[in-house]
Amino acid sequence: MKRILPVFFIFSVFITGSYWSAYSNVGSTIYFYNPETNINNFATLKTAFDTYLVNHGGYYFQPFDSRENFEAVIKEKKGDIYLLSSWHLKALQQKNVPLKIALVGTSKGNTMQRKVLSTKKDIADVTMLKNTVVAGAGSEEYIHSVLKQILGKEQEALLKDIKILLVPKDIDAIMAVGFGMASAAISAESGLDKLAMINPNQFRELHSLGFSEKDYLLVAATLKKPEQQEAELLEVLRKMSEADAGGENLKLLGIDGWRAMQ
Amino acid sequence: MKIMEFCKVLILLSVFWVSAGFAQPSKVLIVNSDNAVFRYGTIASEFKKVLQQNAYQWTEFNLNSHADAEAELKQLIQQENPVLIYCIGTKAYSLARNVASNKKLLFSAAINWRRLDIGEGTYGVANELSSAQEISLLRYFFPTIKNIGLLYNDKFSREYVETIKKDASALGINIINQPINDAQEIGDALNELLPKIDMFWIISDPVVLSSKASVQQIFQSAQQQKKPVYAYSDVFIEQGAVLAISADLATIGRQSASLALMVDKDKVPEGTVQNPAGSTVTLNKCALDALRLNFNQDALDSVNKIVECDK
Repeated sequence: MKRILPVFFIFSVFITGSYWSAYSNVGSTIYFYNPETNINNFATLKTAFDTYLVNHGGYYFQPFDSRENFEAVIKEKKGDIYLLSSWHLKALQQKNVPLKIALVGTSKGNTMQRKVLSTKKDIADVTMLKNTVVAGAGSEEYIHSVLKQILGKEQEALLKDIKILLVPKDIDAIMAVGFGMASAAISAESGLDKLAMINPNQFRELHSLGFSEKDYLLVAATLKKPEQQEAELLEVLRKMSEADAGGENLKLLGIDGWRAMQ
Repeated sequence: MKIMEFCKVLILLSVFWVSAGFAQPSKVLIVNSDNAVFRYGTIASEFKKVLQQNAYQWTEFNLNSHADAEAELKQLIQQENPVLIYCIGTKAYSLARNVASNKKLLFSAAINWRRLDIGEGTYGVANELSSAQEISLLRYFFPTIKNIGLLYNDKFSREYVETIKKDASALGINIINQPINDAQEIGDALNELLPKIDMFWIISDPVVLSSKASVQQIFQSAQQQKKPVYAYSDVFIEQGAVLAISADLATIGRQSASLALMVDKDKVPEGTVQNPAGSTVTLNKCALDALRLNFNQDALDSVNKIVECDK
């Protein structure tokens, strides 16, 4: 036993040392978490972004499916770039996390979006949503907060009588209404445009009962004034749409470019 | 007077017992065909998360860990008296239906649920997306596709093919279907069908997919004639399907739980069987590139997995 312990100690030092030395060589990383979707595409995102970023300065991409783990990384890190929804950014800023927007995502020239509550036309107003199912993509907390905003103070009490069904993406939520799995859907307005394109008959059966306030699409934020490496990475990110492979990667995130914040 | 006092106390006690009974959380029994199977495990896990959020209790019964499952399940149902039995997989549903036909049953993960013995008080979430959902999502990726071909056996898939044709027609897509009696007819049927179509659709037909050789024959012929293949499951991606769209397992679990809560409150019509609300998409860019086939890049926001060529 006396012999084993020193060997084990040396082995541990070697292993942890190698780990940390490898870790310290890693260039700046982009961390990503989006509570506005449930698509399990993390492996695809990781491969696609790493392939692009490693070839454009040796950077890395790390997607998260857990809000807790993502926020833990923000607390630990002093640098790097964080891709997150503006709803999440505001929530963190309220907790005094000093995140600042560097870039905002764009889609077809827009940097803002609003969420819409859609139902079939036989549901004339929100009071008819009592004891029904509302489908939405994203975390339960996020859908709940959007629904609360759309219902407003007057109808807020309805929330406790509404069941939220989490689905992977906006188009699933909207089609769940059309196909009768949910009475209403929370989605981005662009989700309705998609439905109009792929299933116009179903689109015509729906109407909107309310809208959220406008908010930015995905944002890229930093914890402090970017140092040289972060500034370079932000530039790589901003120019991604100029390359075919970069543009495809951005589409995986539901955006087609970035706009710098002044 | 004493009798009056006694009656008052008795009434108060009864009210207490009754309200205490109402305060008890509802209990659901989850019967799983085999919790070691990944898909069943994923569905069960999401189902339980939603029950927990809504303060429901549950008991689990896994068929694979009971020697005399029927007798033990019967005893458990008597003991627990659940408000609803959630059955994951066909085996679980069939057994629960046998031993507790008077209970409310909810099923999911049952392949081709229309073949199940469905009684009053049965609810479910189907295992497969509806053809209308599939075609809508297919259009998202390939908006210009107009003619889609498929092979099927009349005995097994006639109704399903009729539904596909109806749903596709409503979206301006023409389905060209070719019936076959056995797998040996696949070659000739494909020779006739492929020149007329823009894309071939593999449906879950037991005659068309009766062997590995049949599947290989479909992909070889499609490749020779440079026709893309769309499939209902990502198991066909490796063989060369350009796109696969299927039901999302986690959503099936959550949707089943949501339905269970509504059933418990009598807010759902008896016999309701829903299509899955969530989809999962695999795109084979390697096969698309080989065919030089364009797709709507905006649809990348809906992809779970992209398959690239090995480098």
